[in-house]
Amino acid sequence: MPLIIKDEYPEKLFRDDGKRLDGRDKDELRPIKMEVGVLENADGSAYLEWGNNKIYAAVYGPREVHPHHLAKPDRGILRVFYRMATFSVFERKRPAPGRREKEISMVISDCLKPVLFLELYPGTAFEVYINVLDADGGTRCACITVAALALADAGVPMRSLVTAVAVGKIDGELITDLSGIEDKAGEADLPCAITWFNEELSLLQFDGETDLEEFSKCLGLAKNAFSKIYEIQLDALKKKYIEIQEEYSRGEKK
Amino acid sequence: MMNIKRVISTIEKNYILSNLKKEERIDGRGLWQQRDWSVKSNVIASAEGSAEVSLGKTQVITGVKYDVGTPFPDLPNEGVCTFMAELLPLASPLFERGPPNEQSIELARVVDRGIRHADCVQTKKLCIKEKKAVYIIFVDIYVINYSGNLIDAGGISALTALISSQIPEGKWENEEVVWTGKYWKGDTLVNELPIVLTYGKIGDIIFLDPSLPEELVCDGRISISVTEDKITSIQKSGFATFSIEEIEMLSKKSIKFGKKIRKDLNLWQYKL
Repeated sequence: MPLIIKDEYPEKLFRDDGKRLDGRDKDELRPIKMEVGVLENADGSAYLEWGNNKIYAAVYGPREVHPHHLAKPDRGILRVFYRMATFSVFERKRPAPGRREKEISMVISDCLKPVLFLELYPGTAFEVYINVLDADGGTRCACITVAALALADAGVPMRSLVTAVAVGKIDGELITDLSGIEDKAGEADLPCAITWFNEELSLLQFDGETDLEEFSKCLGLAKNAFSKIYEIQLDALKKKYIEIQEEYSRGEKK
Repeated sequence: MMNIKRVISTIEKNYILSNLKKEERIDGRGLWQQRDWSVKSNVIASAEGSAEVSLGKTQVITGVKYDVGTPFPDLPNEGVCTFMAELLPLASPLFERGPPNEQSIELARVVDRGIRHADCVQTKKLCIKEKKAVYIIFVDIYVINYSGNLIDAGGISALTALISSQIPEGKWENEEVVWTGKYWKGDTLVNELPIVLTYGKIGDIIFLDPSLPEELVCDGRISISVTEDKITSIQKSGFATFSIEEIEMLSKKSIKFGKKIRKDLNLWQYKL
């Protein structure tokens, strides 16, 4: 039986004044808030609010691999578990992980591997648990961004941070950071991530239809957005230590 | 970090026990004192109702979703309310991923029974058309940080999420369900407020709201759900045994503590 209110999309994704439905300009990001060290029991953790997305990430490791046969004798492994809460989407999601979650877990893991020195940790595993509690488009990009922070918070040696954003096309216009509605009703969606140590892309997926000129314009939009998000990531990482420093200087900690 | 151990040393256990004998707790609380509550509602935009509840450092987030389905044949005019709990691995290294285990099922079931046997969720109002269409309400509890006593935190968060929810009202027209344009609010869904209280027992000492180290060393726990003047469910777990006098004493205390929590937290303020 269908739900009482149906999930419908508007015909136009731009308002009459040329802004997007949520009032943003074409190249404007949604409000982003990040915090590290939010969970006391994990080795490293981070929390992210990106528009209506609410995501927790936690890192454990290096630790023993379960099941043992997954361990590699010459390097460590990175395991990512991307999971969505049952209530994070319009229609309740079934609690067991689905095909989409498994694929995204793998994509995120592949995206983060280039920045880690896994060869230094033979026989062990780094485990990244990412839980999306509220979803509104662009969760895989948000998850990569928050997972990189959690890894850094855990003190895992990294070549650099990783930053991700989705760009795309709606109603024939190129836009940055698609919301849930824009993602579903739009024409093209291009999530991508940058590894800052070589400034190359380590995540690239594309769904839709576009010509080559528009495609390179999209990548240009992504590049601008990357630097904005990177600043917020760095601030979040530094903030934790600035707070500790202030506690010491006030004499609250010794 | 990583200070959670599966095994607590004998010396630590003895320390907790010797403190309890002096009616002191390692975190400075009295035997019958709960940790501080913090309750926030409406934290998840995609959910019909939601709550983020902290009890000390234990943190849980609960969301309410609905679906429309056919009723059970033996209850043709009653909606269904189901509870699920997930112990996320990010909440503690003690939690492993995978299908629900004993601990998460116990959490969901104890919260469920406390609420089900009280006159709390108004399942009769959740019927759209007898034998054809009823609401199925899902209350899903996610543990974000584990620091002992998930049951009490889960109970309050489930109640708050239900109270803060708004569910589109449907009516039966031409053999299908259509939206009336209005919403059911928390006061239609929920009547009584059952409060669940968990006690730990080490040796012959009983105390309210075990923290994580206490929970790891205690011999057993007992969770008692109470309404304003009645007991609605009890769950004893662990290998501790309780005398009849102790259970009578705890039941009395639970009704008293339940009244206080209901007053202090004033959960009806979260109704939309």
